[in-house]
Amino acid sequence: MLRRFPDFLGDMSRRALVSPVTFSLFFAFALAGAIVAVTGGDPLAAGEEMVTGAVTGSGLRNTLGRAVPIVGMALAVSIAFRSGIINLGGEGQMVIGGLAGTMVAIYVPGPGYLIVPLAMLAGAVVGAVWGLLPAYGQTWLRLPILITSLLLNYVARAVTGYLVRFHLLDDAVTLTSTRQVPEAARMPKMPVFGGVSLSLILVMVLVALLWMVYTRSVAGYESQMTGFNMRSARYGGIDVEQRTVQVMVVAGAIGGLIGTHLIIGEALRFIDGELVLAGFAWTGLLVSLLAVNRPIPIFITGLFFSGLQIGGLAMQRNAGVSWRLSQVLQAVVIVAVACRLSVWRSERRRAEPSEADAAGVGEV
Amino acid sequence: MFEQIFDAALFDSATRAMIPILLAALGGMICERAGVFQIALEGMMLAGAFAAVAGSYLAISWTLGVVFGIAAGMLISLALAYGTVTRRGDSIVLGIALNLLAMGLTGFLLPQLFDVRGVFQHPRIDGLDRIAIPVLSDIPWIGPVLFDNTLLTYVALLLVPILWVFLFRTPVGLRLRGVGERPLAAETLGVSPTVYKYGAVLASGALAGLAGAQLSLGNVVQFAENMSSGRGWVAVVAVMLGRAHPVGVLAAAALFALAEALGFRFQGNGLPVQITDALPFVVTLLALIIARKRFARLLDLTTAA
Repeated sequence: MLRRFPDFLGDMSRRALVSPVTFSLFFAFALAGAIVAVTGGDPLAAGEEMVTGAVTGSGLRNTLGRAVPIVGMALAVSIAFRSGIINLGGEGQMVIGGLAGTMVAIYVPGPGYLIVPLAMLAGAVVGAVWGLLPAYGQTWLRLPILITSLLLNYVARAVTGYLVRFHLLDDAVTLTSTRQVPEAARMPKMPVFGGVSLSLILVMVLVALLWMVYTRSVAGYESQMTGFNMRSARYGGIDVEQRTVQVMVVAGAIGGLIGTHLIIGEALRFIDGELVLAGFAWTGLLVSLLAVNRPIPIFITGLFFSGLQIGGLAMQRNAGVSWRLSQVLQAVVIVAVACRLSVWRSERRRAEPSEADAAGVGEV
Repeated sequence: MFEQIFDAALFDSATRAMIPILLAALGGMICERAGVFQIALEGMMLAGAFAAVAGSYLAISWTLGVVFGIAAGMLISLALAYGTVTRRGDSIVLGIALNLLAMGLTGFLLPQLFDVRGVFQHPRIDGLDRIAIPVLSDIPWIGPVLFDNTLLTYVALLLVPILWVFLFRTPVGLRLRGVGERPLAAETLGVSPTVYKYGAVLASGALAGLAGAQLSLGNVVQFAENMSSGRGWVAVVAVMLGRAHPVGVLAAAALFALAEALGFRFQGNGLPVQITDALPFVVTLLALIIARKRFARLLDLTTAA
């Protein structure tokens, strides 16, 4: 059940043609093309712009840059999904952690090599605390994380909006925004492809780290078992409540890291409402679903979805077709995968057929 | 102070805020009774809101707008029904993906079809008429609040007793509940779970589409990106809090709507919009905490699964 990396490539080539993912991708692109044609666009030209926009010129740099938040948020959600915890609060954890990190970057003086890590740490801690709320909501009050984490997204938007508007506002600009992050406290860029944020390395380290945890450690095994079947995991001596709290802390921390990166590495200002516009948390969620919550496939899928979005922006500029088509594509891929057969579910079925059916969770 | 806040205008705006949540939540309730976990309400509502504005713009008639809204909601619900019932897919995964699909699709079609960004307003968009019910609307205080409203408001309020009778006093309703509670027993007795689940999901699509139409043609006359802004999720919570019972769902929807209306009111009294916007969600969370003993089934569904 635990897929190991060396198997992965062989796995791919063997099953690529019969995989529901391949079919779903074809289906999604065909449907997107049809939508473009129906709304008066030229699907072939749009497709060409999308591909060239994603990899040529500054496209490659932008694709790598945008992969940072997408892969990061996908990793955050995958940790929860693997343990069977449906954390839809990535957005809130990202936004609230992002503001905390930004505040450190703006208001704490010091050299960059100290302030940047400190800001990232602050973002991670505050994101983790925001993730703890729904975790304790589930373990203490028995409120489903699915609902509470999602509702907290709206609260996080309001809290950050309020803080920016009334306590951190930069009067020098007309935006509802904080001051600019000072030069010294910005995330450095690496001199590859014309400047990719150092955060890409951080995300790659996270991928490697999670892969190690999942394949080589007791904690990874236990969290996977919890995801397969909570009841039998508990019976097997795993402290499910403690595991839930730990998972939400890590997921929230990664969300906060990514939120901080998006400000001190990209936007440089925390503008009220801007962080949620691109929908990174949700794109990440789709990436994680498509990659069946495995770190290395998440990285590859994340790059692919990032390319879709960057290509979509080029398509909007050059072919006059809104980049939102990329969002449609992403969602259709997941709908199609879930309809063809849910890999997620079918693996579980094989794992615990009798238990799942007896509990009535099979197809409720 | 108290009378300044709790006046007829407050309840008027609460009624307006309640109808979309109520319509969507009643749809979610039918699904819950049929044993389908329905979390695509947000997306179906958003799609309904967009289609209603598009239809109303094309025909310069709100009737067609409402029909479009229903159709859009049902189209998305059809994908959900096919995925969960026929293909046995994961209803949570499908629900999340369909919500995002609706968000992307409406965001895509808005500039593509109407050449605008963010908000679409146009004199051609025909809003829902307010229909005053003779005699009843003349009752002081209650009359203008309840009986001088859009057609969809009356539909939503009438659906509460109608669905109660349907669920608990008709053979079809009994079978629907049977499919949800004891699918195997229902099937043994010759009741096809597939048919009932499809029916329930499609009905919820129609109702969420209506909710969207009320939002974009009733409460305002425009479409704004992501204008459902969490109401579909509040409706999901309303189903939980109301224990999937029509009266309970009505009470829960009324509670959230009152919070939203109070938020607007406090905004008028100088409280920052960032705080008042969060009020319905904070109230929703508090209500969840107070009524927390009731969610054992959902908790099983979302954790043990």
